Amino acid sequence: MVLVIGDLHIPHRCSSLPSKFKKLLVPGRIQHILCTGNLCTKESYDYLKTLASDVHVVRGDFDENFNYPEQKIVTVGQFRIGLCHGHGTVPWGDPESLALTQRQLDVDILISGHTHKYEAYEHENKFYINPGSATGAYHPLETNVIPSFVLMDIHSTTVITYVYQLVGDEVKVEKIEYRKG
Amino acid sequence: MTPQLEEQEKLLEEAMTNVRFQAHQMKMSLDKQKLMDGLKHASSMLSELRTSLLSPKSYYELYMTITDELRYLESYLLEEFRKEQKDRKIPDLYEIVQYAGNIVPRLYLLITVGLVHIQTNSSSKKDLMKDLVEMCRGVQHPLRGLFLRNYLLQCMRNVLPDTPDDPNAAETPEGTVRDSIDFVLMNFAEMNKLWVRMQHQGHSRERERREQEREELKILVGTNLVRLSQLDSVSLDLYKKLVLPGILEQVVSCRDAIAQEYLMECIIQVFPDELHLATLSAFLKSCSELQAGVNVKNVIISLMNRLATFTQKNPSPETAQLFDIFSDQIASIIQCRHEMLVEDMVSLEVSLLDLALKCYPDRIDYVDKVMESTVAIFEKLSLDRIEYYSATSRELTRLMKIPIDEYNDVLRVLELEHYIRLLVCFDYQGRSAIASALVNSALENGTLISTPEQVDAILSMISPMVTDQEDQPSADPDPEDFAEEQGQLGRFIHHLKSENPDQQYLILSAARKHFGRGGPKRIKHTLPSIVFQAYQLAFTYSAIRELDPNWEKKCIKIFQFCHQTITALVKAEYYELPLRLFLQGALAINNIDFNGYENVAYEFFSQAFSLYEEDISESKAQLVALTLIIGVFERLSCFSAENAEPICTQCALAASKLLKKPDQARAVAVSAHLFWSGKTNDGKEMLNGPKVVECLKKVARIVSHCMDLSVQVQLYTELLNSYIYFYEKGNDAITVDLLNDLIGKIRSELPNLENSDETDQIISHFNNSLEHLRNRVECPESEGISYKGLNLNFFGLK
Repeated sequence: MVLVIGDLHIPHRCSSLPSKFKKLLVPGRIQHILCTGNLCTKESYDYLKTLASDVHVVRGDFDENFNYPEQKIVTVGQFRIGLCHGHGTVPWGDPESLALTQRQLDVDILISGHTHKYEAYEHENKFYINPGSATGAYHPLETNVIPSFVLMDIHSTTVITYVYQLVGDEVKVEKIEYRKG
Repeated sequence: MTPQLEEQEKLLEEAMTNVRFQAHQMKMSLDKQKLMDGLKHASSMLSELRTSLLSPKSYYELYMTITDELRYLESYLLEEFRKEQKDRKIPDLYEIVQYAGNIVPRLYLLITVGLVHIQTNSSSKKDLMKDLVEMCRGVQHPLRGLFLRNYLLQCMRNVLPDTPDDPNAAETPEGTVRDSIDFVLMNFAEMNKLWVRMQHQGHSRERERREQEREELKILVGTNLVRLSQLDSVSLDLYKKLVLPGILEQVVSCRDAIAQEYLMECIIQVFPDELHLATLSAFLKSCSELQAGVNVKNVIISLMNRLATFTQKNPSPETAQLFDIFSDQIASIIQCRHEMLVEDMVSLEVSLLDLALKCYPDRIDYVDKVMESTVAIFEKLSLDRIEYYSATSRELTRLMKIPIDEYNDVLRVLELEHYIRLLVCFDYQGRSAIASALVNSALENGTLISTPEQVDAILSMISPMVTDQEDQPSADPDPEDFAEEQGQLGRFIHHLKSENPDQQYLILSAARKHFGRGGPKRIKHTLPSIVFQAYQLAFTYSAIRELDPNWEKKCIKIFQFCHQTITALVKAEYYELPLRLFLQGALAINNIDFNGYENVAYEFFSQAFSLYEEDISESKAQLVALTLIIGVFERLSCFSAENAEPICTQCALAASKLLKKPDQARAVAVSAHLFWSGKTNDGKEMLNGPKVVECLKKVARIVSHCMDLSVQVQLYTELLNSYIYFYEKGNDAITVDLLNDLIGKIRSELPNLENSDETDQIISHFNNSLEHLRNRVECPESEGISYKGLNLNFFGLK
């Protein structure tokens, strides 16, 4: 299982992860973590490290840590996965702009964040994921931010994506499949 | 083995040899029905107990062996006299054994015969009991006396009268429980006196050994109390009037610390809690009369813990007063016991607090009372800086953490009027530890602090985390620990929250005052949280604009507040963070659209821009910041065309002024978006095709000046994609010829690149771009743009 998570913004915008998410995120199930950034503090990074030892983070606009790269490519099974926070992709969250990054990084899946709005879609045979904000952090362009993260189950040429969203007080899970063509 | 031990063993062995011999003779005589001979040998055997050479341990062994043998005599007598069914011989024997030569064997025999007498005929039980317990006074040597009386108690154990005491009934020779009480109390008093006397025998340098010996013998004294507690007919009234006063009288008057501490503990352990509850004041009063050396704290704590548990399980009207009684008595004990250690005083208060919380969970005033009494202790002793690594501080920390951990609600802690008074008695480290416990509690329990007054109170309490302290250590704290601590505060700010927006504004202002005084190292961790809370508050007002006619004024006030707060960060010489906060402000203002919002947004945006221009010097940071500024501006729609266009141009200009060519090329390419999807306040996108192309051509010029061929081709490929992007968005200033030219240029340069990973990446990038074009040419979208005339001959590159 690959955990895709980001835009925590603790402590700037939030106090903590929703407790229902904390209960779901337990060590042992997750092998890799792909983080879209804005962890903001070392504590948040350390927390991810307790869930899995293989943690990849790119730099968000509120990350001070200069050691996080702006972009990163991670290979899991037969998939090349590109990771970026997305604040450098103008206009923010624009599928065509993200496609430019996908072509440049030459990846099967492109993961980005920044908009605090969960997305998962196929575009020109490539797969795009935005895990949203795991804390449901405030965003000036999004009036109702729903806390969310994504788990990916990768088997040879298939990715099954589980989206976890905290709607009201309930965790809702959605499943989306992508097959490499 | 030490010589002393060897000596003891030898002495014991000699005594035992004689005991075995005499016991054997005794049994033989008895078997032959020669009672008088048997008694003679018993007496000789008992004479071994006259020794004063044995240690308590060896004496005990000897005593056990002898009393075991005596049981043979006892059962012989019992059998004989039951068989004969005659009472005559027993009183005779009782007389006869009184003539035994020495007092020790005589009394042991007397007790044995007395027991048999009572067992066969109870008509004179009461007198015999009295007689025996009196006669034992004849042995005043502590060790011998203690064991003799222990024998007495053991023998009488099962024959003590245990019928209720009825004052109206005629006296009976069998006696009542009252006689048993008198008997055991007297035995107890006498044994205690013997035991205490041990302390004062022999040389003073042997004190330690003596105390050790006393420790070994204490259980003999305590057994009396156990026996008392086993009398079924002891009513509450008897316990109150006879038993407890009798014991306490002896305990207090013996004036011996070891005895007092042990016996008080004994009372607590052997008698049931109901009785303690009914006699609490008397017991505690005696506590205050104990010797200076007695650890009264342990005694009282032990009682309190028992009663707290009991009350928790059996609440009743009698238990309602428990707290007050303990509270008063503890106060008076602390008052009059001058030698008591401060940490012991505090630990008494800890137990009292424990009791209060266990038995009266709703009585917050009790908790406060404990805090108040503790403050009074420190005030009386003029203690105002309790050192963290002291025993007192350890107890005080316990005391102060109990309400935090028990309530799991810092708001309830805030209700304790005297809590903060106690807090300031600590030194810096102690105060910090409590502050951190308070913050953690709020974070873990999700406690919301929802009035400005509460915010003021809690932030004052946790001031060691919030501001510099006069007494803090001069060395800087570990940076990582410090960042973690301040990060917690940043999180905590989100817990300062009211549902009411006006109230929330006051809360944030109050918080801002406290955190604003934190100094440059702290504010970078705390002020951003305040700013983001304020932005959210502005959105809250925006959402209730129909209900609050003053919402616009309030929004302006909030953004002024944010502006001022961010400026405080700039003054502390932070730039990256304020730049981002200003940009976040511009986005928020843009989406709230109150009257006059264009000017406010302009102010925020221009602040960000000037931070970029004046204070960010590192080239990588510049590229990141400028990209962010452009990204934000692309989203803003609050500016009129007159304001927006110069800003677009300024961004593009700034992009072209970056230090490195690749940075210039990329930033200018990004700025091209402003002329396309950037919006003005009439809601229209700019869609300025020629301006976009102008930007992209500028990119081409910059790229052409790049010296590194690999970077150049990479940037051309990126540029190609920018052209494709805008072409597909419908910018008709871009022609297919332009694309053909650029593709041709890349195509011709590619073979000149050296084989490397980078080159592979560029080829992939280029191929992906062409693949995208091919898809579009082969499957054109119905109403999409057309790539008619695109030269596809270049395909097939490896």
